[in-house]
Amino acid sequence: MIIQILLLSGLVIFSILAILLKDLLKAALSLAVASLFLGIIFFRLGAPYAGVFEISVVAGLITVLFALTVALTRKDSEVQEARLTRLVFPLFFIIFLIIDALVMKSFLQQVPALPAGPETGTFGEVLWKSRTFDLVAQLGVILAGVLAVLALFRKKEEDKDE
Amino acid sequence: MSNLWFLYVFFSALLIFTGIYCLLTMRNLIKLFIAVEVISKGVSLVIIATGAVKNSILLAQSLAITYIVVEVSLVATALALIINIYKKNKSLDIRSLSKLKG
Repeated sequence: MIIQILLLSGLVIFSILAILLKDLLKAALSLAVASLFLGIIFFRLGAPYAGVFEISVVAGLITVLFALTVALTRKDSEVQEARLTRLVFPLFFIIFLIIDALVMKSFLQQVPALPAGPETGTFGEVLWKSRTFDLVAQLGVILAGVLAVLALFRKKEEDKDE
Repeated sequence: MSNLWFLYVFFSALLIFTGIYCLLTMRNLIKLFIAVEVISKGVSLVIIATGAVKNSILLAQSLAITYIVVEVSLVATALALIINIYKKNKSLDIRSLSKLKG
């Protein structure tokens, strides 16, 4: 229980750092560390495949994408944030934390979650047989993402030709 | 098990709150996207924790993987969009996007 609390605290702390740090590269790296914590939590919850995806894809690939974007937009990209934003955050966070602690338990008792029943088979069987439609949708999403990125950068090339 | 579920949902609510706070208050486009990432971490934590507590971890895992794939696709597209916006406006400030005054 203590290790779980430590891991979850690490996840929340690094996520907050990712939001509050002014340097965008450090923020992206904090996000990667938070993903690492989340991946470890997934492993401990008995979800190794989701953990592997979280660490390799989110902590790895997305961090690279963020770092690349920061590098490409670094020059003159300082954005003046409102001063109060960072100062007021701890206050709001503590208020929400208290409300969360008071309300969440009774809320969880009222919300119906996934039906409890023993699962049979392996992860592969569930993913490839029960959730086949999800996989087709994933292919569609990946294709849409690739086409969107190609379309966004093609526009720039046309501008160059002109 | 209920206490464990409460613990995970409690922390994921904190993550989602942090992300929403950033979305509402910050002006840097990349920061806003980092906030979306933080919210998505909270959501995937809820999915996996609920699956683990309710003995549906295999289903929850497949849903989480689907969610991660969608997230990556979204991030790639949005970051490409942000780079294009920066090249056009020379700024990452969301206020520079509101050119239509009406």
